[in-house]
Order: sequence, then structure tokens, then C-alpha cells
Amino acid sequence: MQDSTDTHVNGKRWTLDHPELGTGSLPITPYLSTEYFERERGKIFSRTWICTGKKVEEIPQPGDYLVLDIAVGKTSVLLVRGKDGRVRGFHNVCKHRGNRLAWNDRGACGTGLTCRFHGWTYASDGRLIGVPEEDMFFDFDKRDYGLSPIATDVWEGFIFINLDPDPPETLHQYLGEVVDLLRGYAFDRLPLSWSYTAEQKCNWRILRDSQLEFYHGKALHQQFAGKVMINKQQPSCHVLDAKLFRRHSMMSFYGDRRNTQRTPMELLMAQFGASFKTFPSARDMDRWPLGVNPTRSRQWFFDIYYIFPNFHLVILSPFLFVAHTMLPETVNRSTWNARGYFPQPTTAAETVTREYNKCLARDVWLEDGSTLENTQRGIESGVLSHYPVQDQELLIRHAHKVAEELLASDGQAE
Amino acid sequence: MSDTSLPEPFTDLEPLAAVWALATETERNQQRLSSTMAQIQAFYDTLLPRMEAVLTYLSTFPPEPPDALPQKARRLLYLALAMAEITTAVELHQQPSVPAGFEPRRFIPDHERMER
Repeated sequence: MQDSTDTHVNGKRWTLDHPELGTGSLPITPYLSTEYFERERGKIFSRTWICTGKKVEEIPQPGDYLVLDIAVGKTSVLLVRGKDGRVRGFHNVCKHRGNRLAWNDRGACGTGLTCRFHGWTYASDGRLIGVPEEDMFFDFDKRDYGLSPIATDVWEGFIFINLDPDPPETLHQYLGEVVDLLRGYAFDRLPLSWSYTAEQKCNWRILRDSQLEFYHGKALHQQFAGKVMINKQQPSCHVLDAKLFRRHSMMSFYGDRRNTQRTPMELLMAQFGASFKTFPSARDMDRWPLGVNPTRSRQWFFDIYYIFPNFHLVILSPFLFVAHTMLPETVNRSTWNARGYFPQPTTAAETVTREYNKCLARDVWLEDGSTLENTQRGIESGVLSHYPVQDQELLIRHAHKVAEELLASDGQAE
Repeated sequence: MSDTSLPEPFTDLEPLAAVWALATETERNQQRLSSTMAQIQAFYDTLLPRMEAVLTYLSTFPPEPPDALPQKARRLLYLALAMAEITTAVELHQQPSVPAGFEPRRFIPDHERMER
């Protein structure tokens, strides 16, 4: 097993592997401009696959449903499992006169979902199956008034939607290389263990960028990550690997979890259960998915996978990851959902270790959260016209270019 | 008093449990944020040397739901969960709250609603 810290060249600049991205500063306009945001709404959020952050096991039985208000798409989305087991998405809009169909954010509709307004009933596959006093309509055929479908597909249990009625590519085509890199990961075996949601008065890109680099680790998360990140061979570089794809990207980060002195509770937690401050056993590292710790370093901290535009996976071990789903509401308001997926406790002691990891993650996210609205206020002051991008912020630079390409295109995939 | 006591080996921790053995993360977090650092440090210092024994004891019980645990063991679990809650205050922040952190009240734990 090679040790990647020996083989990575001191002074490596990952950005220089991608001359098409340049090294210049980036404009601040996309973070502030209402006009730019409306273009993003039309050409990004209305046309690409976006992750709902929800997993299929959250609607396990036929008839189970979730409702998501997707403000950037100006619609409410109904995700429902049909009798055939398939998860479908629909606009949550009654096709009679447009009332909101499902009012709860989750539920079970059994044999049908009935609109409160006039009592129209729809099956879990979207067909209109019941219309009170149907004989009083004129030239009426129920088949013409099924729910309006939304393109919906699933990757590793995560439900994605595409508000384009006719998406030019399938979800798997859209995800590209990421599918193979993460194939075999325990997505299907790790239960949703915690989930936090916060409304943020900031542009979605501020939120997105906050989880797209770890240059901030040594400062903002000094107590949590500072010691783990100390790298004597490469004091100012913490990147083990970076891969840029057509739309998406990943970065793998250095962190010496094995040799960093641990606190009393960390030691206890590692003794009784999983902990994300502990380097997982490297015994079977060769069998990990190709994209998890891709350099197979023993000084590996975590990987970030960014699924453009609104989904981040942070993988800390073969059995522990977090997922961030971020969606704009308006040009200066966004929603952040941060979730932890952690092994199911088998004893009450493991419930405690899970709680420890949850509280640790939550406190780290509260540090991240502290920057968001302050950054919004800072850039609204007009002080910045552009900002410099460090090598370890490469994924932000790439994401900006991806967005620019989509905004310049006619909306069709190349 | 049976509903306010701890399992036999841990009865001396009763003064801590009276304050900290709370059923939800929101309650435990509020207790943390409304305590002084001296109170939190005292809780940590008292429980830490017993924590291995507490976890060993809890290893003999199923994980959840908490209702599945006998009342005394459940109370010990809540106390241990509070220890998990305050650990970052002691080991990372040296103060009750995350320094300059985002407001906890606006960081909504959806999992509490899902669990019910």
C-alpha cells in the first residue's frame, strides 16, 4: 500500500492541471444579481437534475409520499411510491382548478389522494380516478386530467428530479463518472441518523461554496480539524486528489486521524462504536469503492463529492457519510439540509456514540453556518467586485465555469 | 422515586441526572446553553471517570426506542446522551456555545420530528 503523502509532490498546484479554468479571480455578480439569479432559475434549476436530498426508504410502502416545495422551480413536488414500487414525481397541483393537492409534508395516501377543494382523487401513479358528480362536466375524460409528471429518478437511493419536462439526458448520464467511482459504497446500508434544516438569508452560492472547499478547515474548524490537518511535508496543502468532471467534481483531503492525539471522549467513543474522528481499518482498503479515498492514503480525512448544482456528499469512512442538499428560495435566501448517515446502533451504548458524532457534526455545521449571512452582508456592502481563488478552492472555480456554460447554452446538453 | 432513579451502580450520579437526564436533543442542548461553563465542566469531570462503566452497562440494552429500556436504564441513557451533548463545549470550545456560531434555534433538528 503506497503512502500518498510520500508520492505527492511538494508544491503541487491542482488548478494548473486545468488550464482551461485559468487562475484569475471570480466575479461577485453571480452572488448578488437578481437578473443573474433569474437566468440560473431558467437555465440551471429548471433544466438540470437536482437532488431532493430524500431517499427512497423515506417512502417505503406503496402510497407513501413526500411533498417538497421547490421555490426555485416555483412548484410543489409530490414524490409518491406507486403500487408497482416505483417512485414517481408530480406537480402537487390538482388539475381541476390548480389547488394544492397534498398539504402535509409526508403521508400515506393508500388507494388515492383526494383534493380538499372539490374531492378529485388521484391514484399513486398520478391517474385521476375519482371525480364527484362527473356527469355534470361537459365532454370530459378523466384520462386528460392526470397529475402533471416531473422527471424523477434514483441514484444509490437518492431521489433526483428534473423540472425540464423532457430532460435531454438520463440521471445516470448526467452523473457520469461519479456512478462508477462510488459504486459499492454502503449507501443502502447506512440509515439516515440525523437531519438539520436551516433557512439562510444568503445567496445559494454562498451556501454551496461553504461546503465545497476545506481551505477553511484550519481556521473556522480549528478545534475540530486543526491538529488532524497538520502536514509537516506539505504545510500549506491538504489535497490528496482532485477530479473535475463535466458537471461534477471531487476532492480528497489529507488528515492524519491515526496519529493525532485524541480527547478522552473520542477515545471512549471509538472504543464503543464508530467515530468520524477515527481512521477506519485499512485492512480491506483495496476493496473500498474506487472513488472513496482514491489515493488509498493512510492520512486520509474525507472526500467531498459535489453533484452540480445542489448536492454534496462528504465521505468520512466506508461506513459514515454526510449529505448536504441546498436549494435557493430567492436571490438572497436559501435552504440548507445537512444529514448524517451512520451505522444503525445495535445497543444503547452505540446510541450514545451516534449522539456524540451527531453533536460534533452539528457544532461544526454551526461554525459553517456562522459565515453565511455575514458573507451575504459583506458582499452586499459592495466592497468586493471579485474574489481570489486559492488552489484548494478549485471546485468553486470549476463550478463557476460549469454554471457559465449552462447559462450560455440553449439549455440542451452538449 | 423509582421514576427518578438510576441503576444501582450509578445512584451516586443522581444529582447530575436531576439536571441533565433529558429526553430530547433540543432539551439537552438548551440545558447546555443555559448552564455556566463551570457547571458543564463539573458535569464532565464527574461523569468522565464513570463513562466507560456507563457505556459497558448500556451495551447490554437495545438501542431504541428509549421506551424499550427499563426506566432506570433509560434515565442513564439520557444522562450519557447529555454527556455526548456537552463534550464539544469542554473538549473543543471551552465555552457552552459554539464560538460565534450560527444560532442553534435556527438549526432545526428534523430528526426529532421524524422519530416521533
